[in-house]
Amino acid sequence: MRYGRTVAVDDLTFTVKPGLVTGFLGPNGAGKSTTMRAVLGLEVPQAGEALVDGRAYVSLRRPMRTMGALLDAGAVHGGRTAHAHLACLARSNGIGAGRVSAVLEQVGLTAVANRRIRGFSLGMKQRLGIAMALLGDPATLMLDEPLNGLDPEGIRWLRGLLRSLAGEGRTVLLSSHLMNELALTADHVIVIGRGRLIADTATDALAGHFQGDVLVRASRPDRLAALMRERGAAVTAEDGGALSVRGLTAAEIGVLALSAGIALAELSPRAASLEEAFMRLTGDSTEFTGNKGVGR
Amino acid sequence: MIDVIASEWLKLRSLRSNLYLLACSLAAVLACAGIAFMIGRGFDNQTPEERLAFPTNGDGLGNGIAVAYFVFALLGALAITSEHATGMIQPSLVAVPRRQVLLLAKIPGVAAVALVAGQVLAFAMHAASMAVLGDRAGQLLRAGVTLGTPLSEPGVLASVIVAGLSMAAVALIGLGVGAAVRSTPGALVVLTVLIVVLPVVARTLPMPLRARAGSFMIENLPLQIAGTGGGSLPPAVAAGLLIGYVVAALTAGATVIALRGRRIRALAIGVTTAVLVMAAPAVAADTPGAGAGALRWGGCADKDADKGADRGEGKGAGKGLVKDLRCASIAVPVDWSRPYGRKIELTVGLLPATGVHRRIGTVFAVPGGPGGSGVQDLSTNAGSFAELRDRFDVVSVEPRNTIDKGVLPYDCLVSGPWITWPETREEYAELGRRNRAAAERCRAADPEFFDHMDSASVARDMEAIRVALGEERLSFITNSYGSMPGIAYSRLFPERVRAMVFDGAANPYVDRARGRLPHEESFGRFAAWCARASTCALRGQDVGEVWRALVARADRVPVPVKGESPRAAYSGLDIKEAAAPSVISPGPAPDFPRWTQLAEAIARAVGGDASGFAGYVRQSTNSLKVPSFTGMNMTHCLDGMGLRDYDEYRELRRQGERLLPNLAGIELWHPLACVGWPVAATNPPAPLPAGKLPPYLAVGSWTDFGGGADLVRPIPGSGGVQYLGHGHGLYNAGNSCVIAHVNRYLISLRPAPMGTVCPGPAT
Repeated sequence: MRYGRTVAVDDLTFTVKPGLVTGFLGPNGAGKSTTMRAVLGLEVPQAGEALVDGRAYVSLRRPMRTMGALLDAGAVHGGRTAHAHLACLARSNGIGAGRVSAVLEQVGLTAVANRRIRGFSLGMKQRLGIAMALLGDPATLMLDEPLNGLDPEGIRWLRGLLRSLAGEGRTVLLSSHLMNELALTADHVIVIGRGRLIADTATDALAGHFQGDVLVRASRPDRLAALMRERGAAVTAEDGGALSVRGLTAAEIGVLALSAGIALAELSPRAASLEEAFMRLTGDSTEFTGNKGVGR
Repeated sequence: MIDVIASEWLKLRSLRSNLYLLACSLAAVLACAGIAFMIGRGFDNQTPEERLAFPTNGDGLGNGIAVAYFVFALLGALAITSEHATGMIQPSLVAVPRRQVLLLAKIPGVAAVALVAGQVLAFAMHAASMAVLGDRAGQLLRAGVTLGTPLSEPGVLASVIVAGLSMAAVALIGLGVGAAVRSTPGALVVLTVLIVVLPVVARTLPMPLRARAGSFMIENLPLQIAGTGGGSLPPAVAAGLLIGYVVAALTAGATVIALRGRRIRALAIGVTTAVLVMAAPAVAADTPGAGAGALRWGGCADKDADKGADRGEGKGAGKGLVKDLRCASIAVPVDWSRPYGRKIELTVGLLPATGVHRRIGTVFAVPGGPGGSGVQDLSTNAGSFAELRDRFDVVSVEPRNTIDKGVLPYDCLVSGPWITWPETREEYAELGRRNRAAAERCRAADPEFFDHMDSASVARDMEAIRVALGEERLSFITNSYGSMPGIAYSRLFPERVRAMVFDGAANPYVDRARGRLPHEESFGRFAAWCARASTCALRGQDVGEVWRALVARADRVPVPVKGESPRAAYSGLDIKEAAAPSVISPGPAPDFPRWTQLAEAIARAVGGDASGFAGYVRQSTNSLKVPSFTGMNMTHCLDGMGLRDYDEYRELRRQGERLLPNLAGIELWHPLACVGWPVAATNPPAPLPAGKLPPYLAVGSWTDFGGGADLVRPIPGSGGVQYLGHGHGLYNAGNSCVIAHVNRYLISLRPAPMGTVCPGPAT
């Protein structure tokens, strides 16, 4: 799949399985959205196919009942009420009005159901988009960056929702460019970069790759660094005498420092961004940075 | 698909902006009312004659329809461009991934809203225009339509309904354009060009091109579909074009959508269909009207340039022919009972339709006389036909009995014997011998041709012209004696008559003396005017008394013409025959020059000198007394105008003297010219097949309306319009009120009811 001379997604094959929440990972511009658009028939690949339950999405008569999708929560007509917006889409797939009210309830928008969408916050629009995906009570859900714009409560709610949906045996695919978002949600991750598949594996298996580091400021940094290295940690010095530690948890470092009688000024675990982790995974960062933004 | 359609309907309904947009369409009603108001104001400031020349406001929609189209086009365009603008297209395509289905599903909703709103709007626009015009709407115009045309007029209900339908079509065009352009501003630009810019550009083109280009504009299609005007396309073609525009726009939209989704199947089919639908009207529009038949039209030879002076006709002589007059030649058999026998050539004249409106057909202007040249008449009276030509070709002919055809000697035909008043059987026989000798002198050159100058042969020539024109049916305006070929045509080819107007008709059925009663009335008007008018030589006298005494004395002792032979002395009948044309045609008010001239001639004749009459008679006939023209008699006598015998003559004369105190005898003047005629009547009066004929219309003045009115009365649905004034040949003379009624009838086939009048000149 190309945009002009840029290849956005190239030779990408993977399968998303039911009963699991599958994370779809990749830095900005990796081709996540393009892949999802290809699944929905919004883009037509030069070669290959995307199938839902073994069928092309565009060949489905009432596709929303097979797969619910959310691409861009902002892509709605602001002049309609939330209810009308969902009712229009529901009607096209033969979904009754009762279901519209039910999903509005499910995403917590009942109170604003009859308000025009143009007054909605990003988070409310995100919930509306999720409501749309849920309309057809589909066995498969495909959500592009659904956590964007949600407040912490919203994120927790969505995680719970997605887990329970997967628990019902549904197939759930959600994309993100932030590992930490997915680490707590996804059972399985698919990682792509520059349009190619990089990893297709259980989240736990990726943990090593994607573990963050711990920032440590200590009274005797050299001593502590030596102790930690003895325990197998990778330690690098940072500006202002801080240490970046990988291979030990913050708790292990705290115990180690205490036993050595070293005072700690700061001990903070830092989550690795997916992009950072991804760069390490591929060992190729400079070229990619130049292509940032393409394909979204 | 039903679900998707329902969904699109919900989308349309759930946007309040669409409601506001529809409300904006009320601006179209305001535009209609506003312009109707301006028209009404302008109209009030005109003279009655100028009002008749006003352009019609028609069904009243034309002034606002562009506004309505713009709103509906926007409604259709926004149905898709708003999805692109807001991004809504994305969830829409997720819900309905088949792109063409999404576009097609928008059609029913947009169409339904526009159909209903379009009808409401169209009728509101019509009602607003008519209400603002008020009573003025009923003013009949020279163009043959009223200033405002109500729904009861033929085709108007259809034109308003179709205008409403066209708004739905425009909404779909907007949808197609929106789908193709995918942006609201872009669609606005394209639609502005289609709905506003192109029609304005078309109106600035020079004439033949303007009419042709205008015919293709969307705003002009409803009238053409309804068949009430708007352009030159036939209804079916105009309807095809409107559908073609919709198909083309939707195909363009579907093409762009398909290209986005790379599904190019079905595309070729759509494009091909659109091209075909568009090509059909283009082909049909180029089908020429008149001239499709066997006639080859070219310039006209101007006979009058060299002969006009000899004929003594001032009309058109030397002035040349109007420049858009076309002529063609047609060969017809001299004797229609031998169709493969000898042929003669007749010149056919054509004032072609202007192309402003669709050509309804051909109007045949049948000249009077007998023997008048219809081609010359077309040229002389071209101004009278100006409005008619917006819808008709107008043709006429130099009929076979035109006296300057060159087959029979012109000088012989243009003169003839003086008619005397036979008092005995012997004098009657003597008149017959004189008539026969004069006829034989002219006949000798070509007896076969001379014997086939009847109006039925003229009618068969007209039928040959119809066939050559390729017309299914013809409409006719017969002038004066042209009614005789008109009657013959109605009898011979009733199914070929679309419409027939008798203007100042000669009537072969009417009781001869009774037919001259209007002349007596005119004589009364003359006498009344004369008694009062300072310019009248008989002022203060009892003009009737003076006149009757003069006539009675002249019948006993003819009044000599000073300086001429005693043969030229005027009998009572000679005086009446010389006076009659002046009595019924006094000339323009308030001077009435011919009445003034007549009064002087009478006064001088009372004094014993008839040179007052002889003077103006010689001017127009080259003869001291009115001769019985052989050129007219050869048709009159074959048409059965003659008398059976002396006894019938006596009987009719008695009747005339009883009914016509002042002018008795003039009704027998033409019949007496047929006494002793060498050829028997071949086209005697016979009843019209009234049941097989469409409604006819008679028009005429005080003096010549009666004949035509009697002719059409037996024909169901016929009507009549009388001009309350003097004159003969009112349509040709350019009488606007008569032209308005005649044109209205020829367009709508609804004659004004009998009893309709046109006001005479203000006195």
